[in-house]
Amino acid sequence: MNGALAIAPILIPLIVAAIQVSLGIRFRRLRTSLSFLSCLALVAVAAMLMMSASSGEGTTLVYNLGDWPARFAIVLVVDRLSALMLLLTAVLALAVMPYALGRWQRMGPHFQPLVQLLLVGYNGAFLTGDLFNLFVFFEVLLAASYGLALHGSGARRVGAGLHYIAINLTASMLFLIGVGLIFGVTGTLNMAVLAHLIPGLTGTPRALMHAGAALLGLTFLIKAAVWPVGFWLPRTYSAAIPPVAALFAAMTKLGIYVILRLSLLLFGVDAGAASAHFGSDWLLWLGIITLAVGSIGMLGARELGKLAAYCVLVSSGTLLGAVALHSPGVTAGALAYLVISVLGIAAFFLLVGLVVPREVPEGTAQLEPYDPAVDALFAAEDERRVTSPSPVVILAVCFLACGLLLAGLPPLSGFLAKFALLAPMLGHGTGATLLFALTIAAGLCTMIAMARAGIQIFWADSDREFPRVEPGETVSVVSLLGICLVLTLVVAAPWNYLSATARQIHAPEHYIQAVMGQATGTRP
Amino acid sequence: MEAVLAIAIGALAGSGVWLLLRPRTFQVIIGLTLISYAVNLFIFSIGGLRVGADPVLGAATDPSRYSDPLPQALVLTAIVIGFATTALFLVVLLTSRGLAGNDHVDGEDGTP
Amino acid sequence: MMPYGWISTAILLLPFAAALVTPLIGRGNRKRTTWLMTGTAGVCLILSALLFPAIAEGEVLRQSFAWAPGLGLDLTLRVDGLTWLFLILVSGIGLLVGIYATYYMPREYPLVRFYSLLLGFMGAMLGIVLSGNVIQLVFFWELTSLFSFLLIGYWHHGKSARDAARTALIVTVTGGLCLLAGVLVLAHIAGSYDLDAILAAGDLIRDSPLYLPALLLVLLGAFTKSSQVPFHFWLPQAMSAPTPVSAYLHSATMVKAGVFLLLRFWPVLAGTEQWFWIVGGVGLTTMLVGAWAATFQHDMKAVLAYSTISHLGLITMLTGLGSTLGVVAAIFHTINHATFKASWFMAAGAVDHEAGTRDLRRLGGLRHVMPITATLAVIAGAAMAGVPLLNGFLSKEMFFAVALGANHGLALDTLTVLVAVAAAALGVTYSLRLVGGAFFGPLRHDFPRTPHEPPRWMRFPIGILALACLAVGIFPAWVVGPLLRAAALSVLGSQLPIYNLAIWHGLTMPMLMSVIAFVAGCALYVSARRRIAARDSTPLIGWIRAMGWFERLLAFLTTTLPELLAKVFPGRKLQVQLLLVVLLAGIFGLLAVQPLPMPIATNGMHVDPAFALLWLLGVACAIGAAAQAKFHRMAALILTGGTGLVVCITFAWLSAPDLAVTQLVVESITAVLLLLGLRWLPKRIPGLSPLSPSARYHRIRDAIIAIGAGVGLAILAYTVMLHLVADSASRFFLEQALPDGGGRNVVNVILVDFRALDTLGEITVLAIVALAVFALLWRFRPATESIGSPRKRDVAAAQGEAHAGRQRAALADQLAIPALLILLVAPAIVLFALHLFLRGHDLPGGGFVAGITVTMALIVLYMAGGARWVEARLKVAPARWIGAGLLLAIATGLAAVMLGDPFLTSYHGHWTVPVLGNVPFNSAMLFDLGVFAVVSGASALMLVVLAHQSLRRVIHAPETPRDTDEAVS
Repeated sequence: MNGALAIAPILIPLIVAAIQVSLGIRFRRLRTSLSFLSCLALVAVAAMLMMSASSGEGTTLVYNLGDWPARFAIVLVVDRLSALMLLLTAVLALAVMPYALGRWQRMGPHFQPLVQLLLVGYNGAFLTGDLFNLFVFFEVLLAASYGLALHGSGARRVGAGLHYIAINLTASMLFLIGVGLIFGVTGTLNMAVLAHLIPGLTGTPRALMHAGAALLGLTFLIKAAVWPVGFWLPRTYSAAIPPVAALFAAMTKLGIYVILRLSLLLFGVDAGAASAHFGSDWLLWLGIITLAVGSIGMLGARELGKLAAYCVLVSSGTLLGAVALHSPGVTAGALAYLVISVLGIAAFFLLVGLVVPREVPEGTAQLEPYDPAVDALFAAEDERRVTSPSPVVILAVCFLACGLLLAGLPPLSGFLAKFALLAPMLGHGTGATLLFALTIAAGLCTMIAMARAGIQIFWADSDREFPRVEPGETVSVVSLLGICLVLTLVVAAPWNYLSATARQIHAPEHYIQAVMGQATGTRP
Repeated sequence: MEAVLAIAIGALAGSGVWLLLRPRTFQVIIGLTLISYAVNLFIFSIGGLRVGADPVLGAATDPSRYSDPLPQALVLTAIVIGFATTALFLVVLLTSRGLAGNDHVDGEDGTP
Repeated sequence: MMPYGWISTAILLLPFAAALVTPLIGRGNRKRTTWLMTGTAGVCLILSALLFPAIAEGEVLRQSFAWAPGLGLDLTLRVDGLTWLFLILVSGIGLLVGIYATYYMPREYPLVRFYSLLLGFMGAMLGIVLSGNVIQLVFFWELTSLFSFLLIGYWHHGKSARDAARTALIVTVTGGLCLLAGVLVLAHIAGSYDLDAILAAGDLIRDSPLYLPALLLVLLGAFTKSSQVPFHFWLPQAMSAPTPVSAYLHSATMVKAGVFLLLRFWPVLAGTEQWFWIVGGVGLTTMLVGAWAATFQHDMKAVLAYSTISHLGLITMLTGLGSTLGVVAAIFHTINHATFKASWFMAAGAVDHEAGTRDLRRLGGLRHVMPITATLAVIAGAAMAGVPLLNGFLSKEMFFAVALGANHGLALDTLTVLVAVAAAALGVTYSLRLVGGAFFGPLRHDFPRTPHEPPRWMRFPIGILALACLAVGIFPAWVVGPLLRAAALSVLGSQLPIYNLAIWHGLTMPMLMSVIAFVAGCALYVSARRRIAARDSTPLIGWIRAMGWFERLLAFLTTTLPELLAKVFPGRKLQVQLLLVVLLAGIFGLLAVQPLPMPIATNGMHVDPAFALLWLLGVACAIGAAAQAKFHRMAALILTGGTGLVVCITFAWLSAPDLAVTQLVVESITAVLLLLGLRWLPKRIPGLSPLSPSARYHRIRDAIIAIGAGVGLAILAYTVMLHLVADSASRFFLEQALPDGGGRNVVNVILVDFRALDTLGEITVLAIVALAVFALLWRFRPATESIGSPRKRDVAAAQGEAHAGRQRAALADQLAIPALLILLVAPAIVLFALHLFLRGHDLPGGGFVAGITVTMALIVLYMAGGARWVEARLKVAPARWIGAGLLLAIATGLAAVMLGDPFLTSYHGHWTVPVLGNVPFNSAMLFDLGVFAVVSGASALMLVVLAHQSLRRVIHAPETPRDTDEAVS
């Protein structure tokens, strides 16, 4: 039955991880090939789910676990959006996999199972239609991310991990309080049922429900590393080893995903006057500030890892602002931007690991600050020398590609994504205009920072030592960038999917009907 | 009843938050423990406070005679997850103390 | 029509294709790369030429390909007169530069990278002019910026080249992004990205309130690209690019893209006051500043750069004046400037190539050694100075005519005329300086190299362009007449003015002005050339140094601003971050609740004194823990345990035995873990010195926040307890648990059946944490000072801070007998755990509790035997338990899928088994068994690893990670 497919994205990596764990620390090759298989299977499953979800105007597939009525048991829901996110993470994981084969996974035990469990967390969070179950899968994701962030140990990682864990534990507490409040006043944990009940709430219960939603929102904002609760991100991401940081690239997007889903599902137009677009102004402004802060941080970054991390901040700020505008057009653009930025940032994180000489501790490159001194024009200095060897050329080209991608400049798909995001933004009020301007400015900042880094790394010292690059590492980077290149040329079909997705999530009754329709399971 | 429990929750959360904002790792972990107590009680209280209700299904079929099971189940899950993450935090805290040479949350020993 | 469309496509694609092919040709093969480059340019030139008949009378060729229809984006190639003119310029001069570069670029360079970049640039440039879609235009626009960056930085080991490239990139990309915003606004007004649609919507756009922003944004794009004041500074700096690049990008093509943009959008944006003031004003200033600065440069390329700026200013001003003749003049001068400036750049390159320097103060008399080059340079220079019979003269005449024809108030007109004459005069002066300084005067002999005539093919391009200058200058009507008309038509359409391309218009006012300018220029040169040569900086405007401002801005953005931000929000500190989280939680909560009424209800105040007393104790413990946690960790731990106990009792009190049991076991195991950890923390003695004021402030602040948080949560809890919804999902569970869940302990049924996925996730978390702990500790050594010497340990023990430290010491001596007893207790505990497990489905208990209980047995073993002893005998591999448990739980769920039911569907019945009595058979029980395995495995693993650390203390020789694995996994 088709439903079993819905649970597969959770089970495949879980089973693989369990097997890997029971294999202990021996049979490295076997464990690695298992991971590969699971990633391939995930991509396949996600693709199939995507097809089933996009048949017609989008059929929402509901899977109630334990065969209990959807209202009471936990349901998994596959619609266009969740299918998209599933495919994105699966592809990301598959692309990152070769990179970690070499030196990286040997930095500590249990790398592969932790990655698989991270995927379990991702997929579960994307699929579940139940608030508390969402909390559980967040915890799975976080626990795995703790393990991975600490992979390789070392003072820097542990120090960053300490902060990361402390903040996320606090966030989890808020999550629980929020869920508790909502359950207390509505008596359900099922998102669809909740969306169905909210319009009926009045007075104090509604106020309490809002409080719960606000606390939930805060936890998601913390996950999305939104200002002022996102300071943990630059340290944690730049301290983590490249493949892990690349896998984390989708984590902030998970926060955005949940905000997008819940704000449209629970607080859409028909949630009643008091609740419609609840908190969206806040989201917009927080997004704008995050965007600005991220850009400044990017300009000031003295390490490549930090630079990449601030790119993450910028993208989640942009997305949050876009999501808060509650416009299908913008949402579609935001989804395009989300996909591209995940792939691009992941590629950049991976590249950082290759560009940086290995002797530099904690795998980061130092960049000198600018000197304001004006340089004499036309200094006629040593002008004739011969160019650099070929592997460096590959790195340089990849770096250039990353820069263009993240700054949203032609010819790569970053430009299209940014265009798709910006074009519908006009004419949505002051906030939107500001977001429009800042998004463009952020592109400029990215370009300045990347150009500066690139010039210093590839041009300034021609006798720079580049670490030996293992084939797998190149494969990962190139494939990620390749996907982005393909998305520049093949635009029509993906774009249609994305805009249909936006339309679908902006009409939540689809979702609600699909789940409530299951209200009476096969059991009495 | 409700009032007492509410105040208790508040007090636990308060002292937990105070510890959370302290500079020493051990203080933070104790703070988190206290807060999780508060949160668990909070969720539990969502089921309504029933003294002497029957936790296990007996002869009676009237649901109102039993205490609300769902919040209890949620709390159980929360307790377990809390236990796990606390343990991890403890280990990280020890490692950081070993690597950084002090027990300050930022690894650098500044003012307490 | 069709073939034409395909021709334009070919013109666009060829250069990019060639750019991609070039690297495939071996680096060594110079000749083949050159042929590829020049061949491509040549073909493009011919193909473009073929298009002329189709557009000569102002027709428009269009060819569209679907690209992103959903986004309203089609790849549209659009050819009209203006496009055609630029096609010819770009491909033609590209061809000449290609030839020139072969001989200019030093032999030891592989030309591969250079040519493929040059081709890429050519393609991008052609893309701009061919774009029939504004987004597409921006697309190629940014591409040109990118390629110019790579070309300027071609000799990237020179710092000046790097900085120049960076500056050019930043300035032009900024402009490009502004342009993007601009066209988005335009498209927003016009409702389409198609160029023709936008051109048709002129009035709509000019009347729109968004006109001014759109105008400014588009103009920013144009001005940065064609280096108008105040964005001009990147161009002179870019002169550190190889000369062919300067000749191509910075005279003929890229800087002209801005002009192209102005002309492209002229029908839409021009004709308003704002347009006149901004474009005209900027153009005028740029023209004068450029000419003035050019006069005082000593590097030949610097002179050319500033003169380019000045000429671009002239063209900009012509478009800005808003008169149709101005547009014609602008187009005409675009052509002429391209020809003479490109040729002069190449000449300068030749001089540099031969003599080894470009410094006018070190050059002189080169005409004796390189006469042909000298002649060509003189022709080009004369054209630049606007000498009759050369193209420069004609466009200058036309420009004067426009200046005279302007009528925007007397003062302004006279100013325009004066500036025009002044700029022209300065043009004469710097042309003279170039020609005179380089080629005339006595031949010097102190050149870095011995100059002689450059190779023929290096002179050839210069010659062609010089010839063009003459041809246009003598037979304007025949040579440029038609294409000028076509180009002007495509911009002006019906309002094309009458103009006369003759060399001689009689003794008119413009003629007089030319004469004045010429005489003044010569006079200035003759009188002041020594003084000019002596100066190092440009008088009057030298102090402005736009470049310096740019650098300072960059430094501010990349250093000052981020540091400021970091100071305001010290995000690296955990306390600050947690503070922000808590505060934000409070704010969010208040804001969410505030608009809606929330009366504090009073039912629920009735208090059971015993319960209140209990919690008095609990709260006291909590606060005590908070107070003690800093200096007396052991005490704090015990107090926390006390609170936990109270919580546990509360659960029991409020009829939740399952919770009570779980809370109890978790409580104890957490305590053990903490105890194991405690001993590695540095011990703290209460500081005798009073608190520093900052510390006191922090404490007060935190106390307030903590109290606020507590009160807030208390109110929330209280309110929600009194507003619980009547029928929650629980009713259903109570009804279904026995008939369909097959269990009387509803909580347990929920855990293993109704919400089994939660439990699956929960045990996954446990497993992950165990793995993470193992991974983190497998190589970790406790900090040396906490390992310490025996006596220090005794002190610690006396302080009660090294509970775990005692364990091993304990084993050796007096506790031997009790230890033996304890060892016997362990199996009993395991049996009890089994009991707990089996009854779980019907009575309080279950897999989790059982699992933890088993771990208790392990702890007991540790207390008795110590880590060494246990690890020696412990043959279980906790990691395997974890894996197996997970697999079992999943398998249980999958069995249902095999049977066609959803995942985790349960099946149940009751069996009677001897000894154990009535045992419920339930598939959910298998699931619970999985839970049990994971829980015991995970907690055991954590315990073992932590306890193992105590061995590290004894074993000083660093052990290989391997033996840790034996012990643990």
